[in-house]
Amino acid sequence: AAAEPWPENAELYQQLKEEQILLSDNASSLAVQAFLKMCNLPIRVVCRANAEYMSPSGKVPFIHVGNQVVSELGPIVQFVKAKGHSLSDGLDEVQKAEMKAYMELVNNMLLTAELYLQWCDDVTVEEITHPRYGSPYPWPLNRILSYQKQWEVRRKMKAIGWAGKTLEQVLEDVDQCCQALSQRLGTQPYFFNKQPTELDALVFGHLFTILTTQLITDELSEKVKNYSNLTAFCRRIEQQYFGGHDKDSSAAGAARSAKRSLLR
Amino acid sequence: DVPVLISEDIVISQPAKILNFLRKQKYNADYELSAKQGADTLAYIALLEEKLLPALLHTFWVEAENYCGVTKPWFASRIAFPLSLYLPGKMSREALNRILLTRGGPPLYSLTEVEAQIYRDAKECLNLLSQRLGTSQFFFGDTPTTLDAFVFGFLAPIYKVCFPRVQLQEHLKHLPNLCRFCDDILNCYFRVTVSGHSPAGQDTADANLQKLTQLVNKESNLIEKMDDNLRKSPQHPPRKLTTLKLAAGGEESSPSNRLSP
Repeated sequence: AAAEPWPENAELYQQLKEEQILLSDNASSLAVQAFLKMCNLPIRVVCRANAEYMSPSGKVPFIHVGNQVVSELGPIVQFVKAKGHSLSDGLDEVQKAEMKAYMELVNNMLLTAELYLQWCDDVTVEEITHPRYGSPYPWPLNRILSYQKQWEVRRKMKAIGWAGKTLEQVLEDVDQCCQALSQRLGTQPYFFNKQPTELDALVFGHLFTILTTQLITDELSEKVKNYSNLTAFCRRIEQQYFGGHDKDSSAAGAARSAKRSLLR
Repeated sequence: DVPVLISEDIVISQPAKILNFLRKQKYNADYELSAKQGADTLAYIALLEEKLLPALLHTFWVEAENYCGVTKPWFASRIAFPLSLYLPGKMSREALNRILLTRGGPPLYSLTEVEAQIYRDAKECLNLLSQRLGTSQFFFGDTPTTLDAFVFGFLAPIYKVCFPRVQLQEHLKHLPNLCRFCDDILNCYFRVTVSGHSPAGQDTADANLQKLTQLVNKESNLIEKMDDNLRKSPQHPPRKLTTLKLAAGGEESSPSNRLSP
């Protein structure tokens, strides 16, 4: 399977764009889309209400390539590498270590903060998450599924010590993370100067989603907007890899529709 | 919630908050660092927490031989009865819970698969740290910084505590620059003089810790001897650890007498 070339009909599965997908899942999905576009591999985005349940690891997005199904950015990067495409081959060992460390930073702080905001902040949970998460299903299934997911996420937050944090502390952590990313990026076009890597894809996925998704308040996106080089970075990647003309596959289209439906 | 810093009337827990407090008091090891190096610090600390911490928790609290042989008696000996019967078990369950919740989803379905994955990740993390350290004395040149403190905090227990099951320690010993890094910091900042007083002035606490470590080592040696004896004569039921502990002082020679064929 590793020796087979990348087929034309590769598909990426995520939840429904307009009504269902949440901030954290949208960010992960966008990161994988950006990574595949950077590798110049064609991919078609397919939206299904039960994408989470179809995924082998229970997390979105997942890609269906040939007869293989791989989920989440880490395994997808390795899978793509086995097929002979890699963005980080030009890096030396120390740079690879740095790249992995920064990817963990994004997962540790940004992704966890997004999950916290979606599932542990009561206002957001009531007004946005619960209505969206179960929207394809009839009552009472929609409520049961959202409560189940909420319970799971809150258990995880408690295990890693985030349950006791207030929203202000979480936003502080997001600010610290953005500051670190901004300082690392500096004035370069990408994190490792001339060529984009999976770190650029991951950072783009999360920051672009945060900037373009409308939540109850704008506090989260304001934290990112404080760093002009990060917003310029997002704009640059959007223009280069997602175009402005093809609305269906563009990142802005995806995020804007999420935004439109969140406006009350 | 440990560690806890108590300064006059202020009580602070959690490493990040303690470091913030010290920085406000003008104690800052990162003063000389550039902005990018400060960012790198944050990233590497995240790497340690995500990749190394699960395996560390597993080695100390979940691996049955390590937990029953070393960690539980070690902790229980410093906690008052009857809390000593309950608290180590609780900490062990919390560690397992944390590992399973953060790393244990599908496609890993059994505990052994999760364990294999977390140890693979931990070994990769150690390799990355070794590559990053290279030949320099500390991670950012010649003076230690916050990152050095964090890395030392994670590595030193793996390096120094004598466990029965030591796959992480063996991997660490194959990375000589990390071992040298730990030894350097131990010699510079944790030196204990012959009389049992450390130059930093933490006299009794350090001496007790040293005695405790020796006691734990002696116990694990005894346990190994017991295991050997038991294997020779399988019809005898294994002795409980508590009786061994109480009897450790006076009856060291008797187990071998009683159990030898």
